[in-house]
Amino acid sequence: MNEHIPDAELRVLERRSRELFHESVDGLDMRVRSRLTQARYAALEAAASSRRPWFLGKRVWAPAAGVTAAALLGAALWFGLPAGDRSGMTAADNQPSLEDLDIVASTDESSADAIEMLQNDLDFYDFADKAANPDPAV
Amino acid sequence: MPRFDTLPTACMVWDVPAPARRGAVLDETRELDKFLAEIERRAFRMAQVSLRDPDDAMDVVQDAMLKLARNYSAKPSAEWRPLFYRILENGIRDLQRRRTVRRKFMVWLPGSKEDPDHEAQDPLDNVADGGPDAPELLMRDQAMVKLEGLLRALPTRQREAFMLRNFEGLDVAETARAMGCSEGSVKTHYSRAVHALREQLGEVW
Repeated sequence: MNEHIPDAELRVLERRSRELFHESVDGLDMRVRSRLTQARYAALEAAASSRRPWFLGKRVWAPAAGVTAAALLGAALWFGLPAGDRSGMTAADNQPSLEDLDIVASTDESSADAIEMLQNDLDFYDFADKAANPDPAV
Repeated sequence: MPRFDTLPTACMVWDVPAPARRGAVLDETRELDKFLAEIERRAFRMAQVSLRDPDDAMDVVQDAMLKLARNYSAKPSAEWRPLFYRILENGIRDLQRRRTVRRKFMVWLPGSKEDPDHEAQDPLDNVADGGPDAPELLMRDQAMVKLEGLLRALPTRQREAFMLRNFEGLDVAETARAMGCSEGSVKTHYSRAVHALREQLGEVW
């Protein structure tokens, strides 16, 4: 049945269908064009990252940075902050600072008493210092 | 520790783009951009003819662009077109296969009579942007709608051969590479497609 169709008619069909197709391509709306442009940019970005050496990629550095940050934080907690001059200090010397931190950090009623006691201690040391070194001018 | 006399040598060993290669990479990116910009709309329309749904068509085109860029951008640019259409046609076929499976599965589910191909469309999608006269536009649109319907009714390989050869303008060898078959098969599929369309469309065309 196909043999009866002349070639010229088939060429007309090819040309006409091609014209219609290209007209429909030209008639694509702006939304579709914009999405295609976005897709193209995403593809170009993918091509760029596939060319990048493995050790410059985010996939390598992001976990490495995370592990390093965690290690630094762990080290800081382990050795205590702030470090300052640690010569001649024992582990017991560090203990009061943690207790002080507890006093400052806690919000319950007993913490207010603890701060008051700390203030009393300071007043006492001030008094003892003045008693031991009386000012000659007074 | 290896010693390197020149920076390019070091870059080659460590797989870092040497300064001299950066220009080539930039050229390659520009060329890929130009290539994709040139074919993206036609590729989208061809995918839309096959799949009907514009969102599905957009997905397969986007996927094809990504795969080409990731895996084949280093290939000579002359090979990009058949490669791109091969990826695109594979994507279209995969999606059609999934649809068929989904449709078969949906038949077994109670109360699922809706056809995913006939989902409600946004009326704004059909609003014309302006351009030719309304009657002429209508005639063209009707002709294209009819052509699209007939193309969808063709066997997949015939439709692929017709669109790649006639719409995209690939030669027989490129079409064969894009379809993953012999040049003889392309000629056969194409000839059958043209004759089938001619019989359906009649002498008006």
